[in-house]
This record gives sequence, structure tokens and C-alpha cells, in this order.
Amino acid sequence: MADVRVERLRRQFGSLVAVKDISFVFPEEAVTCLLGPSGCGKTTLLRMIAGLERPDAGTILFGDRNVTALSPRRRDVAMVFQYPVMYRTLSVVENIELPLANDRTIGSAERRQRVEEVLEILELGNFRHLHIDRLDLGNRQKVAVGRAIARRTAVTLFDEPTTNVEVHAKLALIRAFKELRRRVRQTIVYVTHDQTEAMTLADQIALMQEGQIVQCAPPRELYEQPAGEFGGWFLGNPGMNFLTPQPAARDGLQFDGLPFPLFAPNAGPEEIRLGIRPEHVQISRVPVPDSVPARVLRTAIAIGGQRLVTLAVGGSRIKAKVPPPAHPPQDTLEIGAEVFAVCPLERAILFHGGARLAEPPRRLVPRIELE
Amino acid sequence: MSLAVSSRRPFASRHRSGLIAFFGRREVLPAVLICPVLLFFIVWDTIPTLWLLGLSFYRFSLTSGRPPIFSGLYNYTSILNDAETWFDLSRTFIFVLLAVGIETVAGMLLGLLFWRSDRLPGRRVALTLLFAPMVVTPVAAGTFWRLIYDPTFGILDWFIRSLGFAPVRFLSDANVAFSAVLAVDVWMWTPFMVLMALAALASVPKAELEAAEIDRLTWLQRFRLVILYHGKFILMLGILLRTIDAFKTMDLIFDMTYGGPGTATELVAMTLFRRAFEDFNMGSSSALAVILLLISIAFTVTFLYVLYLRERKAALA
Repeated sequence: MADVRVERLRRQFGSLVAVKDISFVFPEEAVTCLLGPSGCGKTTLLRMIAGLERPDAGTILFGDRNVTALSPRRRDVAMVFQYPVMYRTLSVVENIELPLANDRTIGSAERRQRVEEVLEILELGNFRHLHIDRLDLGNRQKVAVGRAIARRTAVTLFDEPTTNVEVHAKLALIRAFKELRRRVRQTIVYVTHDQTEAMTLADQIALMQEGQIVQCAPPRELYEQPAGEFGGWFLGNPGMNFLTPQPAARDGLQFDGLPFPLFAPNAGPEEIRLGIRPEHVQISRVPVPDSVPARVLRTAIAIGGQRLVTLAVGGSRIKAKVPPPAHPPQDTLEIGAEVFAVCPLERAILFHGGARLAEPPRRLVPRIELE
Repeated sequence: MSLAVSSRRPFASRHRSGLIAFFGRREVLPAVLICPVLLFFIVWDTIPTLWLLGLSFYRFSLTSGRPPIFSGLYNYTSILNDAETWFDLSRTFIFVLLAVGIETVAGMLLGLLFWRSDRLPGRRVALTLLFAPMVVTPVAAGTFWRLIYDPTFGILDWFIRSLGFAPVRFLSDANVAFSAVLAVDVWMWTPFMVLMALAALASVPKAELEAAEIDRLTWLQRFRLVILYHGKFILMLGILLRTIDAFKTMDLIFDMTYGGPGTATELVAMTLFRRAFEDFNMGSSSALAVILLLISIAFTVTFLYVLYLRERKAALA
């Protein structure tokens, strides 16, 4: 195994710069997810690591080995593609075994042992001698994963492997992947635009935007402490609420979701925004401390029975994700209902010019606790 | 004053809408659209074939001046008992095997050479030159090559002599004539197989080739498991078309050697031509034509069987 280092890596297609001078380290034996919207350059970066795309500038190192000019077959990489790539005239076992059989350093006993191991982990044992055409897409992708993992290469790359499989197969694949991770430690770069998948599988997530890695952190940290507004907006379903300060405020910063002003940070009030995730916004029927009056504009049922409520607060709209009502239908939050919203300050983040400010948001006037 | 408006539509309009409704029916429109093609096919293909089949059971010579006499299977038995026809048939099979074999291999190799060579300088010129022989009519190609092969002023012979070798009588030496004609056929039709090979190669998914590269598959494995798997249908179609076409080769022979010297280049289509238009034996030539048609059908069936054999095996597995 080896870490993967890319230094000032650049790739341009005509006038479009797909990858903009990225320098980054994919740590050894860790799963790094490249996450970002379509067209942000994550697949191009992955393909350059694989050797399928030549960088215009920059260096790629596997450990201390400079592989920039090497062809894919000389790099010691394995890759799982978006669409299950199979050798269609072969059986399941033959597909997994084929790259191993070409490697003279692997004896037949070890080859068999590795194949058996991945068959067992991926729960493909019953299909072992089946012709590949008789498998569904999900199981075919499992075979592709098995073929890549069994090689135990320096680096294993995954290019959105669950995109083309149906939901149940996708869950089975993710389960199998996690089991694989538990049993086999490999340096893995995993490209996805599915944040749930990234959050579930990654040791760290590298968030990409317009050809650059804008933040890299463990999943939870990335979610809770986004380095910029992009991270706040892209992660979460829906993304963060962003509130702009009222221009008329004389002292400090006054936001629609807060009943009190905040300290204006040193950065100055212009381009300041306050971010808060929908699940942190609380809704109450009666006034509670730090609440502001709000009106329900829209409600929708989210996955898991949670409700996604859009509130009109002053001149702003705030989305809130609230738990399902305990005793329906008493508290259904009908459209137009007058309620009270609380945006907990300890959960809010201040951004300036799109980047997160180091100092947390603070009240201008300290809260007086009443006994 | 108010105008009375009739609720009944004018006759023309009703008639028109009735026609539209008739042609708009799901089963009518396709049938109407296919009619011209079907008619053309029946007039120019089915009726002549049936006529040919009927004639093959008659003794009928245009030189005798007598009407056709029903002879049952006589024409067929006489052809099948004729040793010369068997020689011609076996010579034709050898010709087809060699021509199609060489053209397929050369076509694949050239196709692989030109595949993904978009940035190769002069690619378009090279491809145009390569495809030129295919668009030349066989008679022109035959004449062209007859002149090249000419022992007196042919450029090839001049070239051989200038290298110090003995002159070769390409078209009049029984040992060489077959190969000389075969070479012209290969020259003419290899471009077709290049075209089919390029089409076959274009049908291979890029991701599978990339996966094969990453999986470190050998060149042969890549060719067998990826390229051939995806390109086989187009490639087999090319081979099938070339096989049927090579089996019918007559124009080239007619122009270059007229089947000679002796019977060295006498292919079965040439025999058919002689029977029909030299001997004017319409009954016997029709029977031979029917036999050749059956052989062509057998080729097609065999190719399709081979093409889908693996799928059938996979389905049974």
C-alpha cells in the first residue's frame, strides 16, 4: 500500500480547466471520498491518478514512486467503473481471477485464496460458476469490485460505482464495501456525488468545487464545520440556511432569525452571512427564549417521517427539519400557521465572502439568565 | 339575420377525415408503407427466383428451338454427377476461403492501425487511398490489373525483371494465375473489411478497454475478451457479406483470365455464365443457380448459428 500524492496537478479541456493545480495527499490505507457536484473535476482527477488521463502539469506519486508518465498497467492500480465492466464471456470466478492469473508473482494457491476471500465477503459464493450475463447489474458491479480488491494494488479507485445500480443493489454494495474495508486495508480513492454514500464510507472527504479541493475533513467534521458556504450548501438535504444581516441595524449585526444583535466581526459587515442547518432550527407554537415570530409557508414530508418546513421569518425564508408529530393530527403545522422559530446560536456559523470565520457568532448583549 | 349552421360536415371533409382515420390505424399504416418495397421485392426477386426454380426442372436450350421439356431432377443429378462442376466448386471454395481469410486478417490489422488515430497526420488521405479500390468497378479493376500483370509492358513484370528475377507470366501460367486473381480480389475488398473492422472497433465501449488496460490484460486477452466480444457481430456480418460476394466472383475472372489458363481460375459463377450465355442451356444453368443459392443460404445460416452459439450456451448454463 502507499499514499497518493498529487502536486500542482492540472488538466484542461479546451478553455475548461477541469482540475486546477491541485496539491493533495490521499493517505495510506484510508478511504478518501472525492465529493462534489457534477462537472467539478472529481472524475478527471481520479482518471489522472489511474493513468487514463494525462495531466497538463503536475506530478502524481504513489508513495515515493513518481507515476505521472507511467501507463495504467505499470502503476499498480485497480479501478471500479461507473458501469459494471465485465469480461462477458467468462464466469464470475474467471472474471475475478483473470487479472491475478496474469500476475506471475502470485501463485495459484494464493490466487485461489484471494478469490475465495472476495467471493465470501461480497456474498457471491452461490454465483461463482455462473456466466456473467446471468447476473443483475448490482451483482455484476460486485464482481467488478471483487476483481479490483482481489488484486491488492497500491491504490484502488472507485468511480461512482453505485450510480447505475438500483436502490437495493446499491445498499448491498455499500454493505459489502464496508465489510471489505473491515477485512482488507487498502488506499482507496472513491468518487461520488452522493453525499450519503460519502458520509457512510469515507474516512475523510475531499470536497471539490470547480476543479479544486475546497475542504478535506472526516465526514462529521465536514458536515458540522464547513470551511465555506459551498460546503454548507452542498452537504445536507436540504443544505444550510444562509441569512444576510439587516442593513438598517445600527449596532452589531441583526439577522431575521435572531431576536438579538450579534457582534460584528473584524471582517466588517459586508458579505457577512449567518449559516444554520435546517435540522438545528426549532419550531414552537408558543414563544420560547430566543424565538422569533414566523409563519409556515410550506411543509413537506422528508425521508424517515421528518417534516421539512419552510418558514417566513421577517423578510427571510428559513427551512427547518422537524421531527414527526408525536400525536398526529394535533400538531400538523398547517400552511399559514403562526409559530415561533429558534435558531440556536451555538449551532450557527458566520461566513465572510463565502469562507467560514474562525470566531463563532456572539451576542452583542449577553443573555441574562432568569432564575 | 342569422345564418343557419349545419351540424353535418361537408362530404369532402368527412371523406378526408375517414381516410386519415383509416391510415391512422395501427395495423394499416405500416402495411401501406411497406407495400412499395414488397412489390419491388416480389417483382424483381421472388418471381424470377420462382421462375428459375421452375426452369431448373426442365430441359430447355435456346439453341434447339424446342419448347422446354419437363425432366424432373435430371438437371440436378447431371450437375452433381459432373466431376468438372465439383472441381469448379472446390476451386471456388478455396478461392472464397483464401480471399475472405486474407481480407479479414488484413482488414482487422489495418483497422487496428487506423483505430483511434484521429491525430495521426495524413490519416484522411491514407484512408481515402485505402478505400479507393473498393469503389472501382470490377471490370475497370480487372483491366487495370491485367495491364499491370502484362508480361510485355506490365509494370510489375518490369519491376521483377529489373530486380534480376526471371519474368513471371502472371495470367498465363496455370500455377500463378489463381494467386494473381486472388491478389486482385484481396486488393479490391480488403478496404471493405477495414471499414467493417473500424465499425466493429467503434462499437467497443471505452470503459471496457480502459478496464482491460488497468487489469493488465495481455493484448490477446484484450482482443478476445473485449474487442471481439463487442465487435463480433459487425465483423461476422462483413465476413458473411464478403463470403457470399466472393462466392459469386465472375466479373474479375471474366475480364482477367476468362477462367483460364485451362480451368486454373474457373470459378463456379464463371461456369454458370458459360452454361447460360455460351451454351444457352437454360435448364441446366438454372439448376446450377439454384444450387449456388442454396449454398449461399447455408453460409448465412451457418454464420448466424456460430454468432449466436455462445449466447445460446450462456442461456442454457
